Amino acid sequence: MSFRRLLRRWQGALLSIVGIVATVCLGVSGQLGLYIHPRYFVFTMVMAVIAAALVVAAFALLPAAEDGHEHELPEDDGGRWAWLWPAGSILIIVAATVGLLVLPPATLTTATVAKRDLNGSTSLITQKEASDLVGGDYSTFTVRDWSSLLSQGAGEDFFADKTATVTGFVTPDTSDPENVFFVARFVVSCCAVDAQPVGIPVYYPGWQDEFPTDSWVAIESGFNTNPSIRSDETIALVPSEITPTDQPAQPYVY
Amino acid sequence: MSQTIAARPFTARRRPGRGFSVGLVIIGLVILLRVFAPSAPADTLADTFRDFVTLSISVVIESLPFVFLGIVLSIVVQTWLPEGFLLRRLPKNPVARRVVLSLLGMLLPVCECGNVPLARGLIAKGLTVGESMTFLFAAPILNPVTIITTQQAFGWDRGILVWRIAGGFLIANLIGYIYSRHPKPESLLAPRFQDACALGDHHDAADGKIKRSAGLFTKETSAMLPALFIGAGLAGLIQTAVSREVLVTLGSHPVWSVLALMALAFVVSICSSVDAFFVLSFGATFMPGAIVAFLVFGPMIDIKMLALLRTTFTAKTLMQLTLIVALCSAVLGLAINYVV
Repeated sequence: MSFRRLLRRWQGALLSIVGIVATVCLGVSGQLGLYIHPRYFVFTMVMAVIAAALVVAAFALLPAAEDGHEHELPEDDGGRWAWLWPAGSILIIVAATVGLLVLPPATLTTATVAKRDLNGSTSLITQKEASDLVGGDYSTFTVRDWSSLLSQGAGEDFFADKTATVTGFVTPDTSDPENVFFVARFVVSCCAVDAQPVGIPVYYPGWQDEFPTDSWVAIESGFNTNPSIRSDETIALVPSEITPTDQPAQPYVY
Repeated sequence: MSQTIAARPFTARRRPGRGFSVGLVIIGLVILLRVFAPSAPADTLADTFRDFVTLSISVVIESLPFVFLGIVLSIVVQTWLPEGFLLRRLPKNPVARRVVLSLLGMLLPVCECGNVPLARGLIAKGLTVGESMTFLFAAPILNPVTIITTQQAFGWDRGILVWRIAGGFLIANLIGYIYSRHPKPESLLAPRFQDACALGDHHDAADGKIKRSAGLFTKETSAMLPALFIGAGLAGLIQTAVSREVLVTLGSHPVWSVLALMALAFVVSICSSVDAFFVLSFGATFMPGAIVAFLVFGPMIDIKMLALLRTTFTAKTLMQLTLIVALCSAVLGLAINYVV
């Protein structure tokens, strides 16, 4: 049997194994949430197990390379570019293995915040949901809740007596990066591809000396008029203390 | 092709126990690779590259179970259901047949990734190319999961749900009609898939159902998964290269808003069952026609879907389909923005 024919037969099974093992390992280690919404966890794991059973059945029942039945796959024609297909197939398998299994699982970073519209012109919750938030239990509010209220235009009077207790990653305020950063999270509705960054501005001059961009911090602070002259944000958290913290098990909010 | 059949002798078959062991050893080695891989993100990698990897993996992890589900359904249709079980129940009249096919997603609520292997199975069992296109483009929209999530996201607000259902139904049936008129519909299929269809029944007849199922699984995964991984890589690459902020600034213009959200749908390659929740966050910025165009165009055509469809259709066919779906979606969106 030629290597080319062997590859044709088993390429899908090998890629399936890479995908299945990556999925199950992420699920077992509680890291599936780095990539998909929790509503898909059970379905994803169940399909991985079913696919694993089919892969094992294929290895058990099928001949190693094509027998006389597999004639739809033409043998290497010996042409000048005949090496391209096997080379491409190997490249895909290697890239999938490195991406899914060798590189450690990771969240999105500030590089993606810069590509997307932080809070920006999008409204992450409706006016009705925003009004429902008003009067709610503020101690349970997430970065998403506070940023939604800020972008819906709740005024300084509303925020005057409120204290936010939030955890998020550090990303600079592009309008005044020396003095202001956002404590941010990504909101995910399906998977990391649709993640949208939300954040609360934090006035903390010289923050770069203490907290690298993308590091995680916990903040408990009241809101105030943003003292920054250059920043576009009118209201900000003005904490006296910020605590570095580890990335939470569920880094995204939903 | 027939020459190849005649020329190929049977090779030695492997004993099941040995193959089983080989499979388990490979799986074990892959698990060991994951276990001994570094667990903390590498700070030496540039953020942009890390995000490219994360976004690409996200597409794979999200789509893979749906692709597996579609392959399992395809195996059921091709191997376990009685011959003609589905197709002989379809109406004889071509228009009515396509209408029923466009509603098949109500019974088989698989997202667009899973529909591709299922459609391949249906074509292999006798569905025409035009009919398969109607099923492929209607099913991601006209299925209960998509309808319920769209209703949850938008309610009856601005008729978005109704326009989505009507638009998806009409475009899918229009495409089915157009390609039913094609003089040589088999020429629309990728050569490799044509060969597989032509020879599928011939070589499987002697095998048991379980062995045929295993064979179909390896064939379909060999066709679909490389396409999925390439599509995921492209989607991740474009997302890290293109700023979404540029698109969002176009939201209030009746024409540009439609084109911008269609471009966004093409790039994000998001599953139709949840795309309504995603685009909901743009609801305050974008005009309703743009939202509908996103919700109609995205489930039919996006980067990941094109990569998957390429396993079945020629590149020329896919270019035509992309153009037709894009034009129809844009017309629908513009009509809603200007007329409704």
